[in-house]
Amino acid sequence: MQANLRVRRYDPESAEQGSHLQDYQIEVPDHFTVLDALMKVREEDDPSLALRCSCRASICGSCAMTVNGRASLVCKTKMLDVAPDGQAVLVEPMNNQRVVKDLVVDLQFFWGKVRAVEPYLQPRGEEPEGEYIASNESMLNLLTPMGCIMCGACVSACTVLEVDKNFLGPAALAKAYRFVADPRDDETQQRLESLNESSGVWDCTRCYMCVDVCPKGVAPMDRIMDLRESIIEAGMTNTPGARHIESFARTVAHSGSLDEPMLAIDTWGRTNIIKLMDNAMLGFRTLRRGKLPLRSGPFHPRRPGADAVGRIFKRLSK
Amino acid sequence: MKYAFYPGCVSRGGTPELYDSTIAVANKLGIELEEIVGAACTGAGVLQEKGLKLGDTLNARTFAMAERMGLTTIMTICSTCQGVMAQANKRLLDNPDYLAEVNQELKPEGLEYTGRIVIKHLAWVLVEEIGLDTLKTFVTNPLEDMKIAPFYGCYILRPSNALGTDENPGRNEYLERIIETLSGEAVNFPGRLQCCGFPIMLINEKNSMEMVGKHTHNAKAAGADAMVTPCPLCHLNLDGQQPKAQAQRGEKIGLPILHLPQLVGMAMGLTPKELGLGRHIVSTKKLLSKASVRA
Amino acid sequence: MADHDVLVVGAGLAGMRAAISAYRSGADVAMMSKVHPVRSHSNAAQGGINAALGGGEDSVDSHIYDTVKGSDYLGDQDAIELMCNEAPQEIINLEHMGVIFNRDDEGRLGTRAFGGASYARTFFVADITGQAILHVMYEQILKAGVRSYEEWFVTDLIIENGECRGVIAMEMLTGKIQSITAKAVILATGGVGRAFEPSTNALICTGDGMALAYRAGSTLLDMEMVQYHPTTLAGNGVLLTEAARGEGAYLINSEGERFMEKYAPKMKELASRDVVSRSEATEIEEGRGVDGCVFLDLRHLGAETILTRLKYIHEVAYDFAGVDMVTEPVPIRPGQHYIMGGLKTDVDTRAWDVTGTAGWNGVKGLFAAGETACVSVHGGNRLGANSLLETVVFGKIAGEKAVEYAREQKDFTIADTHLSETKERIKGLFDRADNGERTAAVRMELGQVMNQHMAVFRNEEGMQLAAAKVRELQERYKKLPVIHKGAVYNTDLIFHMELGNMLDCAEAICAGGLLRKESRGAHFRKDMPERDDENWMKHTAVTFSEEGPQATTLPVAMTRWEPQKRVY
Repeated sequence: MQANLRVRRYDPESAEQGSHLQDYQIEVPDHFTVLDALMKVREEDDPSLALRCSCRASICGSCAMTVNGRASLVCKTKMLDVAPDGQAVLVEPMNNQRVVKDLVVDLQFFWGKVRAVEPYLQPRGEEPEGEYIASNESMLNLLTPMGCIMCGACVSACTVLEVDKNFLGPAALAKAYRFVADPRDDETQQRLESLNESSGVWDCTRCYMCVDVCPKGVAPMDRIMDLRESIIEAGMTNTPGARHIESFARTVAHSGSLDEPMLAIDTWGRTNIIKLMDNAMLGFRTLRRGKLPLRSGPFHPRRPGADAVGRIFKRLSK
Repeated sequence: MKYAFYPGCVSRGGTPELYDSTIAVANKLGIELEEIVGAACTGAGVLQEKGLKLGDTLNARTFAMAERMGLTTIMTICSTCQGVMAQANKRLLDNPDYLAEVNQELKPEGLEYTGRIVIKHLAWVLVEEIGLDTLKTFVTNPLEDMKIAPFYGCYILRPSNALGTDENPGRNEYLERIIETLSGEAVNFPGRLQCCGFPIMLINEKNSMEMVGKHTHNAKAAGADAMVTPCPLCHLNLDGQQPKAQAQRGEKIGLPILHLPQLVGMAMGLTPKELGLGRHIVSTKKLLSKASVRA
Repeated sequence: MADHDVLVVGAGLAGMRAAISAYRSGADVAMMSKVHPVRSHSNAAQGGINAALGGGEDSVDSHIYDTVKGSDYLGDQDAIELMCNEAPQEIINLEHMGVIFNRDDEGRLGTRAFGGASYARTFFVADITGQAILHVMYEQILKAGVRSYEEWFVTDLIIENGECRGVIAMEMLTGKIQSITAKAVILATGGVGRAFEPSTNALICTGDGMALAYRAGSTLLDMEMVQYHPTTLAGNGVLLTEAARGEGAYLINSEGERFMEKYAPKMKELASRDVVSRSEATEIEEGRGVDGCVFLDLRHLGAETILTRLKYIHEVAYDFAGVDMVTEPVPIRPGQHYIMGGLKTDVDTRAWDVTGTAGWNGVKGLFAAGETACVSVHGGNRLGANSLLETVVFGKIAGEKAVEYAREQKDFTIADTHLSETKERIKGLFDRADNGERTAAVRMELGQVMNQHMAVFRNEEGMQLAAAKVRELQERYKKLPVIHKGAVYNTDLIFHMELGNMLDCAEAICAGGLLRKESRGAHFRKDMPERDDENWMKHTAVTFSEEGPQATTLPVAMTRWEPQKRVY
């Protein structure tokens, strides 16, 4: 097949400002991956093209880039899948990270996040003579986060990092889960307290971007949800995020459907006067448009079926 | 064409215009909607954080109720409901033991889910069931010269393995196809598949407003006259919070945000009143005048 | 003053294990790698790590015996004894660091079967054991705060008065060339698989450490011992772990026959790798293959075993060959995988002859561990899951011994000429005229000739052809231009220097092969198919000279195990 690559180039040593797109047309076998094609370009056409790659088998994590706007590990992205009709394939460096040259980004941002979660086992007390005793289930549970190859695709795709560089982000939080869920680690409480703070687990929007782009099935967002659950189970319920879940559950259990104004009031905290005043304006605007559900709180109408929903809640709530 | 209709909490709460415009458009298209009376909230992913099985049981109950109505397709009008129900359905169907376990919980309610339900958002129904060619025949007021930016909402797209993207790879371009069928011009902008920020609106408002500001700004900068979304939660944020996002950004944006059935209804000649177009925070007046000048 | 007490070059498992043990010994240690540490090729080790720890009928002696036998009696028995003795404690050390090893019903470490082993003694993390250990090792590096020079490429060893004093290296993100001095240097740069095409090895496996030491006057040992792994995927040659066969997978030919029953009636698919690869090559040569492949059949293992214990290779076969191994046999063939040979060290990982009487050349202050080194525990053929073991056992020793050595050293300064000479040489590369030659094309020619003549089956004529071709490529290399002239992340320059390293290793591989006049382990000569214990229970040893490689022999260390006929 003919491969048409449109590559975003950037050379910090050139006089030209910013990046530009460069097209390459090469003939490649049908089984080629985007990486195979890029390597062929580099080997035969343009040795100046900078990219990282090593194992070619989706285990080293070097070659995450964006392909047609989607963060991808290019060694497992087939040309035929992204360009079945030979159309141009747009290859750009990862998002949310500083570009060093062409498709190479600075890894400091990524690793800074990972370092922030104290990414190492912290057992207390004397080490046992033999191995720590732990169930196989507990180890298998860690296999998913341990499968992370630190490629950065999730960080590239994260919609929160795009607006807030302080967010710990999906990779670091998945790594944090790996220790929180490790029965050999004794700093669980301290870890959860730190993850419960701002820029931690509650800033995730649950947009599923990281789950979708992860080439290794780590599903970082699911790990973030696991962490939220652990935080609530550990009794840390006095945060907007935790209150949000509780209030949501309470209103649905009460009436079978969601009570939006009550959810807001509960999440901010019922005594958060500033926040409530601040949002009274929006309330007024929506009211004027005939949209604000007036019957809120105890007056929230109980839908048909609310009794059944309430019973299911009762049976299944922890 | 008859569907078990799941309107979702928000179309019955904060965005009543979505419910009304859906009914109006369905009537016009001859889609018969039988509402699943007494269905619960899907949990929106939030209840699932509290307990996955709790969320799945509530949704299995809804599916069982639809089955009892003698129907196999549930139509939603909310990206979030679509995604949450599709995921629940996948978990239940992938694992028969789990389905049996959940059915145990439904037994006291006299219900059983047998696994025959498919969940389809209105957008999918329009493209996959009605067909764009048929839809075209209903267009009496083509949206010529109107530039519309599509905003999908996360849960109608992801996780892709639960949303049939493999079997229906075009699903992340359906809005563009619908806009074009209505003779409008689909505007491409960077945020079309991203998050509106609604889920953290109450938790990290600054980030949430940053998202609203960025997406509406980018769509406007790409030339959009309006944005259309199949998700009422996105609508709550992109429309309802746009003034706040503008303030945070220090920039006037004023981009009208339409629900999908409102856009379709406009092209089919339904009146602004029928479509509830006066109920938005960001005024649709300018947009309507542009539409009526042409009509 | 030296920048560091100890500098570790290479940050795979051997390198990081060395850095951690040097750190724990209280030294100022730094690591340097041309890639980020978690990108290292140790990642690719899938199946597991051996140790006789499980109790039952297994014993350290059995592990030693299997390794000696697997090596075709070429491994140094003192080194093998040391490795197998240290193995149980090192598994525990890894577990304490945080490796999530598979457990048994009582929550203790559990094992799986592996090739060439009398008992199931392979500890594992699904089929990502290398990755799972590598990432945990890096966690420990972060915990210790060890200085890590990431994406720095070493161009030269600094040698003064026969002693290694550090390295000259290029920071790839800026192109800055700098000297980093150290009282002791540990080389842990992995293998040289990229001198073969195809290979299971990552693109970074270019024999850098071996070549740096070789050019500096060290001895390369048993370089002809190149392992072809029996199960590499058709098409792109990606590795499918031996654990598949450990879990019970069959090898079948085009007639559906489990052909290993003919070649190794007792161990069948779990005979050692050289034996299995030769059997496959024979089947294919005799016309019972399909498109140059035979098949790995896992279907009878069932979806659950495949999807939990062999998840990664299931994904790989699906992604890269479009085969679902739950329902279809996977086309596979032998592919270059590992080099048993490497930089000669003693059991303390020292790459020089401390006694001064053993008759081999080395550089004082230089240590080596892992695939770079040849200590030698693998001899003519490495057993699966012994490579990870070698990296951690000898990595740990290297860290400790290098610290001991560094403590004995006085402070020093080095001459400025080291840095200026390297800068001059690299400027010379940039100044070369474009004669139309390209690095990738020369590398491809090298890889193809090595894979043709230095593979599973060899003979005199083929090895002579390979050696001649390598000499020709060496000559062309002297004029090979660097096309891209930039400083920032110039992979054209890096590949050029890597090619030089591969060519140097390749000449040593050919020299070792031509010297060894017998078949042993991975070195199987069709023109001399028998093992010759009388004349060739010896290591081949190659040193660099301007006139070409100089090959000689060195004795094999024997302790308790007399050579026997090798039957599986």
